[in-house]
Amino acid sequence: MAPRPSGFSLLHPTDAATTARVKDVNAKRATPGSQTSLRESNRARIIEAVKHHGGLAQVELAGSTGLSPATVSNIVKELVAAGILQTTPSTRSGRRSQYVTLARNVGLVAGVHFGARHLRVAVADATGQVLADQRMPLGTDHRADAGLDRVALLLADMVESLDATLPELLAVGLGVPAPFDTSTGHVSSSSMLRGWGGVEIARVTSKRLGAPVFVDNDANLGALAELRQGAAKDVAQAAYVSVSHRIGSGLIINGEVYRGSIGTAGELGHVTIDEDGPICRCGNRGCLETFAGAQHLLELLRVSHGALTLRDVIRLALEGDAGCRRVVADAGRAVGIALANLCNLLNPSRVVVGGELARAGDILLDPIRETVGRSALPAASGALEIVPAELQGEAEILGAIALAIEHATVNVMANVPS
Amino acid sequence: MTQTTAAPAPSASKQNLVLSLRGITKRFGAVQALTDVDLDVHEGEVVALVGDNGAGKSTLVKVMAGVHPQDEGTITFDGKPARIGTPAESRDLGIATVFQDLALCDNLDVVANLFLGHEKTSAGTLDEVAMEKRSWDLLRQLSAKIPSVRIPIASLSGGQRQTVAIARSLLGDPKVVILDEPTAALGVAQTAEVLNLVERLRDRGHGVILISHNMADVQAVADRVVVLRLGRNNGDFAVADTSYEDIIAAITGATDNAVTKRATARASQPEASALPGHVSVAKTDAPEGETR
Repeated sequence: MAPRPSGFSLLHPTDAATTARVKDVNAKRATPGSQTSLRESNRARIIEAVKHHGGLAQVELAGSTGLSPATVSNIVKELVAAGILQTTPSTRSGRRSQYVTLARNVGLVAGVHFGARHLRVAVADATGQVLADQRMPLGTDHRADAGLDRVALLLADMVESLDATLPELLAVGLGVPAPFDTSTGHVSSSSMLRGWGGVEIARVTSKRLGAPVFVDNDANLGALAELRQGAAKDVAQAAYVSVSHRIGSGLIINGEVYRGSIGTAGELGHVTIDEDGPICRCGNRGCLETFAGAQHLLELLRVSHGALTLRDVIRLALEGDAGCRRVVADAGRAVGIALANLCNLLNPSRVVVGGELARAGDILLDPIRETVGRSALPAASGALEIVPAELQGEAEILGAIALAIEHATVNVMANVPS
Repeated sequence: MTQTTAAPAPSASKQNLVLSLRGITKRFGAVQALTDVDLDVHEGEVVALVGDNGAGKSTLVKVMAGVHPQDEGTITFDGKPARIGTPAESRDLGIATVFQDLALCDNLDVVANLFLGHEKTSAGTLDEVAMEKRSWDLLRQLSAKIPSVRIPIASLSGGQRQTVAIARSLLGDPKVVILDEPTAALGVAQTAEVLNLVERLRDRGHGVILISHNMADVQAVADRVVVLRLGRNNGDFAVADTSYEDIIAAITGATDNAVTKRATARASQPEASALPGHVSVAKTDAPEGETR
């Protein structure tokens, strides 16, 4: 790993609350209204757009910043020379184009995904290329303190294995399997993720790592990754549904992940399916999760199959075990009912189904399609495609990396001649 | 998550019972190391054996490994009564044990370590090619991250050594793999590797007995937790229904001695379906769905 150019500095926001978008223009400011300040702000705009999209074609850059193609071309050239951006030749609708990303040696970012039963940690360079990746199983009621401690140790280990040091880490994106309240910085209620209530995840972790940490719900991160590089690419109105130990969804509205007023939008798992149904861990009754979550599936199979894990169920279903297929299909039907309501409300053009259970393929997807077709408005379901996730199993961790890149602090001013 | 159900017995109907120990008792002079201990392992099941220091975990492992044959009690393997008098008998039966010290030779390479003592030969010379191929096969099945099979063990990390030791234990195609404190001396990254490995062993259909002090690791990979306390069974929990607190309470003795509970359970259950040990707190009147 090449040493970071000297002009880059790391911002350590004292309050690492995820809501705060750290602006990179923090160095010497030019007089407002002057030519210099205009160029500065244009540069900042371009870098902001590149970080936001993770990477995009130079023509798209012009579209998304509103600057003229000539200005974009000039500034990109300047920033490439300064080692902040890098371009790779590619083709776009048959024409040659330049794909613009942050430069590889700007620094490292990390993604962390706490699943219900596993932990995934990955380190990537500033272009989003994953350099190191580690997965480990977790217990059902894994605790925040032990988990976050492991993350810190693992990350330090992985960064070291890349011949880099922790200060090179620009930002960390972290996904949790529960609604995350951005107004408090906590998991929204402790019953949703036992052992995590009241923990200031971002603050605790960034203190350990010395890099800012940005937290989001894992389904939102899955949606972000599918939107940027997966099955929802270039789809403006879409939804990502993760069916796994828990059920979550990320809503994509007008090409952006919609998080709601405090970040808990898209909790599809807690949509009411049966008002008189079983009590859910969220405190309500008959939530989707009590009909399609792993715990319910495994409980149903316990009588006939004994104690299984979710992986066993998927494997057996794919091998043709009738009981497991039925249980997965029934879960699909329940998800379909909730999705039909979602489609009536938001009218997405594509729904991407991910999560561990999606590996069962059409055993899960066909009942979802059937139920949505039956229960949603014909107009809404007619224009709708329900597709499997493209980034199967990788969506959440790639989303966490994308979140980290989006919020990474890059100091532009010190490096560019004005 | 306080509800635990007594019936049906966890995983009893799932797969075949491979190894079953009943009433195992072991004395060393005046020391009563094990008293009337029961243990079951099914195919494709990870059973964690936990307990305080001196609870008898290692002694029980040594009984199964043939190091210290039991004084009393019976062992059934694959439905047939078995006698494990020596380590060789244990291995021939299909039980592979990976001890904490791993017993690897630091100066030999990975292949030599895997085949140490049962090298493959062709025409009187070592068949290095066949052994190397088999080594890669094994390590690939375990998705092991080993840079080369021709480097000395001394240059591998703790997790990689553990992987080699486990791979070696799989050479005889055992039905049961016993791992004694596999993560005790490892860093987080290596622990992650070993836990992933345990999951893969389970997926391959091996019964795994995992001895560990780390409750987080136990909860992460085990299907069932068997608690020993002062040489006796003190609870048998299905991990899915059990909290840390329950297990810790059983280890420290904060909950009742399970032996008395087992006696009552035995008395109240028909003989045929009695699976001693599955006696976690019976609370069958809890409303359906309480724990969801």
